Amino acid sequence: MVKLEVIMLESTAQVTIDHQTQSIRCLYDKHAGMLLGYIFEVVKDRKLAEEYLVKIFSALSLLREKQGEVDINTWCQLLKYTKTKLLLLHVQNRYEETHAHPGMTVVGPANIYLDRLNEMQRRVFCEVYHHGQTISALSVALNTTEDLTRKTLKEAFLIMRSGG
Amino acid sequence: MVKINEYLESGALESYVLGAASKAEIEELLSLKSKHPQVEEALAILEADLERIAEHMAIAPPPNTWLKIEASMNELVTSPKMEYLIGEEPVERSRPNPGSRKTEQFIEVEGESGHMRIHKIWRWVFGAVFILGKIFLAFAIYYYLENKHTQEEIQQLKIELSNQRKK
Repeated sequence: MVKLEVIMLESTAQVTIDHQTQSIRCLYDKHAGMLLGYIFEVVKDRKLAEEYLVKIFSALSLLREKQGEVDINTWCQLLKYTKTKLLLLHVQNRYEETHAHPGMTVVGPANIYLDRLNEMQRRVFCEVYHHGQTISALSVALNTTEDLTRKTLKEAFLIMRSGG
Repeated sequence: MVKINEYLESGALESYVLGAASKAEIEELLSLKSKHPQVEEALAILEADLERIAEHMAIAPPPNTWLKIEASMNELVTSPKMEYLIGEEPVERSRPNPGSRKTEQFIEVEGESGHMRIHKIWRWVFGAVFILGKIFLAFAIYYYLENKHTQEEIQQLKIELSNQRKK
């Protein structure tokens, strides 16, 4: 009886893990390319971006899950999760990266969305989107008000949407 | 109505979607979202925008990436590394493995290895015991053969003595 219970527990745990791997695989199939593109824009190094992609997807398996499914379902949730992870991973590696490969930054493909923005709009959007800056910190850095920074961000979205 | 339109135009939703909003701004947005369906609609549009921008910037990962992720996940399940746990609540879990599944409630004190470590001095003690054993064995064989030989001689002498008496 006890043995049967142990076997059942083991198989339940196995099913949970398999289910979780499946849900991460679904997320990978849907968003891996987008995430790699995003990470590349942040780190500007293809190999490092691929390495971070592996680390971020692997780390999803450590998240608390609901019945074997990872709580992250949408691109926005994955992006927020990636930003927090990337901030920590990239801070750890920033020193090694700049010293091991000096000047080894790769220029990405021309971005039709960002090309439509003016200098200020592009800076606000990139600082928030790629580098996880808060509105208040960015306003201080740009020597402007928070309201104006938010407005600039709004304009950036509107311009990118209109050209989409 | 004017107020909510002003809010939608302020850029607060954009900063929220990008994760750049402060705690107070998030709370304000969540309370407005429950009252005004326009906020939810605007958020859905912004999320779609973000997805479209990301799709445009997408780079196809190399074909073996998923295998690397799978291998890394298996490794993490058995021994989570610190760099993955930063910013996470620690989760205790392990892949079911016959033999190692003692119980999840107790810390395993007894090692699973069948080997034990002892002091080097015991090597000399075991060597001495072995050599002494061999010496005792050699003596035992020697005295056994000696005793047998003596017994045979006594027997021989007894026969000779009885023959002489008969004569």
